[in-house]
Amino acid sequence: MKRLPAPRMLLLALAFGAIPPLVGRAGLLTDYSAILVGGAVCYAVAGLSLNLLMGYAGQISLGHFALLGVGAFASGIFSGADRMGLPFVVSIAGAAAVGAAIAFVIGLPALRLRGLYLAVVTIALSYAAEQSLFRASFISGGSSGMQLPRPILGSFVFTRNADFLAVLLLLLLLVWQFDVNITRSKLGRAFHAVRTDEAVAASFGVDVTRYKLLAFVVSGAFAGIAGAMYGHLYQFVNSESFGYHKSLLLVIVVVLGGLRSRAGVVAAAGFFSLLPVGLIKVFGTGFRGTDLIVGALLLMYTVARYPGGMAEAMRQGKERQAVKAAKRAAVAQGEAGDEQPVVPKLPQMPRPSGLPARPAEMAGMPLLSATDICVSFGGLKALDRASLDVHRGRIVGLIGPNGAGKTTMFNAISGLLRPDSGSVHLLGEDVSGLPAHVRARAGVGRTFQLIGLAKDLSVTENLLLAQHVVAGYGVVSALTRIGKAAKVERELRDRAAEALEALGFERFAGTPVKNLSHGQQRIVELGCAMVTAPELLMLDEPSAGMAPGAAENLAVRLRDIRDELGRTVLLIEHNIPLVLDVCDELYVLSSGEMLAHGAPDEVVRREDVIGAYLGEAVAI
Amino acid sequence: MGQTLILGLMTGGIYGLFALGIALVYRGSRTFNFAQGEIGTMGLFIAFGLVERVGLPWLVGALVAILAAALVGFVFERLVVRVMIDASRVAVAVGSVGLLMLLLAVEFKIVTVSARSLRAPIGGVGKEILGVVVSPTHMLSIGVAALVAVGLALMLKKTDFGLGVLAAAQDPVAVRLVGVPLARVSGFVWAMGAALSALAALLVEPTVGVFAPGYASELFLKGLAAAVVGGLTSLPGAFVGGLVVGVTEAGVSRVFASAAFPGIKSLTVLGLILCVLLFRPGGLLSGLVAKGESAS
Repeated sequence: MKRLPAPRMLLLALAFGAIPPLVGRAGLLTDYSAILVGGAVCYAVAGLSLNLLMGYAGQISLGHFALLGVGAFASGIFSGADRMGLPFVVSIAGAAAVGAAIAFVIGLPALRLRGLYLAVVTIALSYAAEQSLFRASFISGGSSGMQLPRPILGSFVFTRNADFLAVLLLLLLLVWQFDVNITRSKLGRAFHAVRTDEAVAASFGVDVTRYKLLAFVVSGAFAGIAGAMYGHLYQFVNSESFGYHKSLLLVIVVVLGGLRSRAGVVAAAGFFSLLPVGLIKVFGTGFRGTDLIVGALLLMYTVARYPGGMAEAMRQGKERQAVKAAKRAAVAQGEAGDEQPVVPKLPQMPRPSGLPARPAEMAGMPLLSATDICVSFGGLKALDRASLDVHRGRIVGLIGPNGAGKTTMFNAISGLLRPDSGSVHLLGEDVSGLPAHVRARAGVGRTFQLIGLAKDLSVTENLLLAQHVVAGYGVVSALTRIGKAAKVERELRDRAAEALEALGFERFAGTPVKNLSHGQQRIVELGCAMVTAPELLMLDEPSAGMAPGAAENLAVRLRDIRDELGRTVLLIEHNIPLVLDVCDELYVLSSGEMLAHGAPDEVVRREDVIGAYLGEAVAI
Repeated sequence: MGQTLILGLMTGGIYGLFALGIALVYRGSRTFNFAQGEIGTMGLFIAFGLVERVGLPWLVGALVAILAAALVGFVFERLVVRVMIDASRVAVAVGSVGLLMLLLAVEFKIVTVSARSLRAPIGGVGKEILGVVVSPTHMLSIGVAALVAVGLALMLKKTDFGLGVLAAAQDPVAVRLVGVPLARVSGFVWAMGAALSALAALLVEPTVGVFAPGYASELFLKGLAAAVVGGLTSLPGAFVGGLVVGVTEAGVSRVFASAAFPGIKSLTVLGLILCVLLFRPGGLLSGLVAKGESAS
């Protein structure tokens, strides 16, 4: 994504502000054309609004035009001479606020839950708005509709459409800049993580519900602005201006615009709002509606072929070529293409400010204590009164045959899963009722069996995402880039660079994680888990997929973590030599029950433990 | 009171049919077919053409319409849903928005200004029940809705294939092991959802009168609300949810109807969905239905 530096944005703003009025006065832009282009600009803002929700956060709204309508009617009430008569700027801001508020009210019930509930709620909103709210006389003046005034600046009234087009373009620029700021902040990264994998997002400390809701609320604010722009452009809206099928067309625009591509969405919005006019002009009225048929077919083709969106497909194509080129270059230089890296020294990060202070000694209390955890899936008992304690400064192994419940235990400890019964104490506090992102904040870092990273993001971006819990700035600051956001982001980038250096991964800084080898991804994941210097590091099969040399080296690094960094490790591992090598104590889980606990070399000699493993071997 | 109840139950049965189709697709594919309602409208257009223009009997027109709807659902599953087996469920839902838009656009294109209405399947004079005149069509629609719901339930519970459909959402591996091909299950639910939608549209249209593009999509929303009330995966829940939506809608619009607030029904549906999501996210019946039925 291209970033426009501030001076260029200012130049663009000047051009947008000056050109339409001049062109209009020179007679090159008729009133009719200006209103067409203006409509396209409003549509582009609507597209950016839905793109934020669908493209970034992966949530779907099928009633987005209802939010536009909310903005239009709100702005009409705020600015109308016979209503409140407020200035244009205030009424636009008000429209954004009301759009955000409605999004919050209907988004909160829907987004607390997983699934497609937001789509259901937004369709319902669309019908309710069209048939009821926008026809209610105290809101819109009944079914006859509502007049909206053009803005006034001093004694100048923006009556000419070309003049008002300048205002619309400036508003588009403003929303565009907000959108750029979002993608450059923790918001953009958190949205991305939520879209990719909610469990991974939560383990990085992202409050999934909050960020889904935040995406919808900001999207609602943008939609409110778009609707107000639309209303003041046409100077009239009624209940039919914001119908269901317009919302559906907006989905087409966003998907065909490429999902996550600002320029693509703006271009598609322009194309689809001018295409019908063009088609009828060129081919006659017989072609009315052809654009919709073509758009609908293209939409189905695009999602079936590239579910991640067209822009992503194009990016992936480019990346593949880059990878190929790099490989060719490496071969030409006589290097091995896929070297398996040994695990480098993991980053030694100071504990960032903004986190709860590290508690001093807890007088013999274990750092982590999970007691009598029971979890069942349907009729199957995955965990049956399993308990384990982890003391500070130790490496504790958790082993057991496949399906014994090891990862389920991890999920129960890190909060991704709420056990049926049992309790989890962390640093002496009962965290049983707390969600995963809060436990991450309290000092639990973890890795996943299948690499818990946002694989489309670059290594640096993943290291930034991993610092979500310490990105201490607010939403407004993120949107406007005023206040703490810029400074904090710089600090995060410094830390990420430091971690990259410690890992020896500087050359991969901008590489998407999915283009790295499995072993390299593991190392990035370890780096991410370490970057906020968590108290407890939970590693789920870190040696899986590593070359033997790298796995041996992993043992050295784990000891580093314990001895040099003074951290505590809880480790799921199938590589028994590695476990025997590094673990201070060992828990054995079998069929959901804690079978054994003790010193590693004693535990693995116990007959019941061998039996549990052999039993599995015989069964295979 | 009695009137409201009767009216609510009559429309509720229709919503229940839509909801049954929605719950089926949700069980099979964990997503929604947003075009489902509009496939029903398409069925109405076909039946209208055959019955009112060509002059075929109502039953023939209706059968062709239902089969055509099933075919559209089936083909869409083949060409789009199946390709996206690994894609996010949101992406599949977006694909169905494409189908919805396509149907709407085609309907708008062939539409003329004149209003269409389909004749009622059976004639005769209505009976008065609790002060409401219930037409033969009404009675037929209630009867057919109930019959289809029960028939579908039996078919799902009593046949191996049906059990496969029920199990598909919970344990795809087990379904494959007992020999039910998942691809067939998926094709079945998408075709069945579309067919149910056409059936429901055919049954309800004569009681309303005229139809236009987008007609059944609005009913589909009520079906969605009903499915949410029923907890999305539960089939009995979906049908009962339809009745709940119908009665609530009728009740609220009777009490609060006023010129200052038009379209109170659609507002009621929104409110109902929000309340269920806030207070009973597993569906109204989540406590009553056996645990295995609603577990996800």
